[in-house]
Amino acid sequence: MKNNGYKRLHKYIILSMVLAPVMIYVGALAIGYIYFANSLESSTESIMERVIKDHRQMIESFLEERKGDLTFLQDTYTYDELTNNQILAQILKQLQKKSPAFIDLGIFDNNGLHVAYQGPYDLTGRQYKKEGWFREVIEQGYYISDVFLGFRKVPHFVIAVVMNSEKRWVIRATIDTYLFNTLVEHISIGKTGEAYIVNAKGMLQTQRRSGGALMEVDEMNGGMPKYHEGIKVFMQSGINKEEFLTATTWLNNRSWMLVVRQDKQDAFQSLHSASYIIILLSIVGILIIIVVSFFLSTSIIRRMGEVNAEKDQLQYQLIRAGGLAELGEMATGFAHEINNPLQIIKNEQTLIRMNLSELYEEGQVNNSEVVAELEDSLNQIGIQIDRCARITQAILKFGRKSEAEIKTISLKEFIPQITVMIEKKAAVHGIEFYYQLSRGIQTIKGDPSQLQQVILNLLNNAIDAVIEKHSATGGKIEFFIRPDGKGNISFVVTDNGIGITQENIDKVFTPFFTTKPVGKGTGLGLSVCFGIIQKMGGRMEVTSNPNEGTTFNVLLPNDKVN
Amino acid sequence: MARIKVMIVDDEELLLFTTAKLLEKNGFKVIQATSAIEAIGLLKRHPVEVMILDGKMPGMDGLEALKTVKQFYPFIQVIILTGHATSEAAIEGLNLGAFDYIMKPISIEELIKKIENAYYIHQQMKEKKEFFFR
Repeated sequence: MKNNGYKRLHKYIILSMVLAPVMIYVGALAIGYIYFANSLESSTESIMERVIKDHRQMIESFLEERKGDLTFLQDTYTYDELTNNQILAQILKQLQKKSPAFIDLGIFDNNGLHVAYQGPYDLTGRQYKKEGWFREVIEQGYYISDVFLGFRKVPHFVIAVVMNSEKRWVIRATIDTYLFNTLVEHISIGKTGEAYIVNAKGMLQTQRRSGGALMEVDEMNGGMPKYHEGIKVFMQSGINKEEFLTATTWLNNRSWMLVVRQDKQDAFQSLHSASYIIILLSIVGILIIIVVSFFLSTSIIRRMGEVNAEKDQLQYQLIRAGGLAELGEMATGFAHEINNPLQIIKNEQTLIRMNLSELYEEGQVNNSEVVAELEDSLNQIGIQIDRCARITQAILKFGRKSEAEIKTISLKEFIPQITVMIEKKAAVHGIEFYYQLSRGIQTIKGDPSQLQQVILNLLNNAIDAVIEKHSATGGKIEFFIRPDGKGNISFVVTDNGIGITQENIDKVFTPFFTTKPVGKGTGLGLSVCFGIIQKMGGRMEVTSNPNEGTTFNVLLPNDKVN
Repeated sequence: MARIKVMIVDDEELLLFTTAKLLEKNGFKVIQATSAIEAIGLLKRHPVEVMILDGKMPGMDGLEALKTVKQFYPFIQVIILTGHATSEAAIEGLNLGAFDYIMKPISIEELIKKIENAYYIHQQMKEKKEFFFR
């Protein structure tokens, strides 16, 4: 029953020790993860915003500078100078030195006629009045076009500026699309980060690194991308269900949208790493909690078992001591009540003897068998009276509440005083006697005469047990005095005598229990010893195997511990 | 030799009777009392040399009786004969002036020896007193 109870308790303890910490641990990790994820998301979006802002600024600066270059030319040269091919060629050369982005340079009159051109194409004399870019630049004063094919049938875009002088004329430069593409594309944001430009119709103005040629429709932002102020950061799903962290912003007078994007996994790489670490930590942590809980709970249950066993033992000893104390109380009254009748019987015995003597002297009684039997009976009465008297004396000793005189006993001197008595008695009966006092044990606190009584009682009992089993040889008694490793000094008496049966071993410390023949023992010796040792703060234990021998162990608190 | 006068005080009547009979058979003159009060009362009319006093009696116990006897009859030698002897009680009894403190059961021979020794002391004390007051 007890074992089942311990098993249930063990399970309950393990469960409690595992559930609560695991819940708190996992909860803490989860909360930490959530906060980290939110923080990371926020931080990543901020980074994206900063990147696109910087990139926009860079592109706009580039375009402004190119526009500025053309405006400078208009301010510096006259129409006539610029329409001179030689001068225009020199100007283009200088412009290209400053910025390799210029592919060509063209001058147009108010009617759209290409009056002068320097560049790799043959465009002089062509009419551009109906071209969209021309109409825009005349209307707005300057214009940056979308990428288009034009007469050269090659994707390109132009920057054009109107010169408002006596006659209106336009200076136009073609920007190297490849160079501009490299400028836009060049962005460092993770492994998958990319940047590109789409126009208001959703057509790519620069190539997209992940796939998308110039002038293709951007399937992500296809159709008419909606204009918005400032910078927008959001998650966007691709055609193949891949997710991107995307940032968009408008530039070039709302005609171009700059897109910067990064694969979601790439953008939140550290979050994924953290997730794996957190999962790993969770598993490892839970395992550790389970293992530690198991070992701790096992240790607790084992210790509980030991403590309960000790408690049972103490309780048993307490009950026994209580019983003995009650018995002690009764003993004195009992002895007193018995001694009076004994005195009467003794007196009557003496009277009978005296009367018998008188009868002898008067010759009224002959020496016959009957008279002899009477004498025997009178003798027996005397013997039994003396026997009863010894028993009551022993009971009185048992019940006596004599106060122990506690002294510091030097065991080096104390033990030999006892063993010298036993050695002689053992030698007489052919019993081998050996004793050993462990090194390091100096003193003990106790009543010397009571302790001597206990040890002598045990050694004498050992001698009696050995005599009962062995004849002149073979008997052995060992007496050890040593620390037990738990703060006690152990007095161990071991013999190879007749032993004590299983049914009797629980009764050895019970008053009046004896295995000795009638008249040989009162059965009070061990119970008195038990009481003495109890009062000294110790305890007595016995183990025995019938026909093999017995060991008595007296444990007393170590003087130093006390 | 004059018969030694002994008073036995014990609440156990049969014990009183048998002990008295044994002592009388051995030549002692015996007065019996079943309580300490009765004994002290009897002493006025029946002076004795030796008293055998039970240690535990109802009413006035042995030690109380001893104190009283020694106070009024200092020469009487008191032997405490008890069924319940402790060293403390014995020391107390001897300090109060008891001649001896012995435990029941005792053989009549031993008791007679104790009485004769007590009587000797009684006689010694009486002679000293008579000498002193001569």
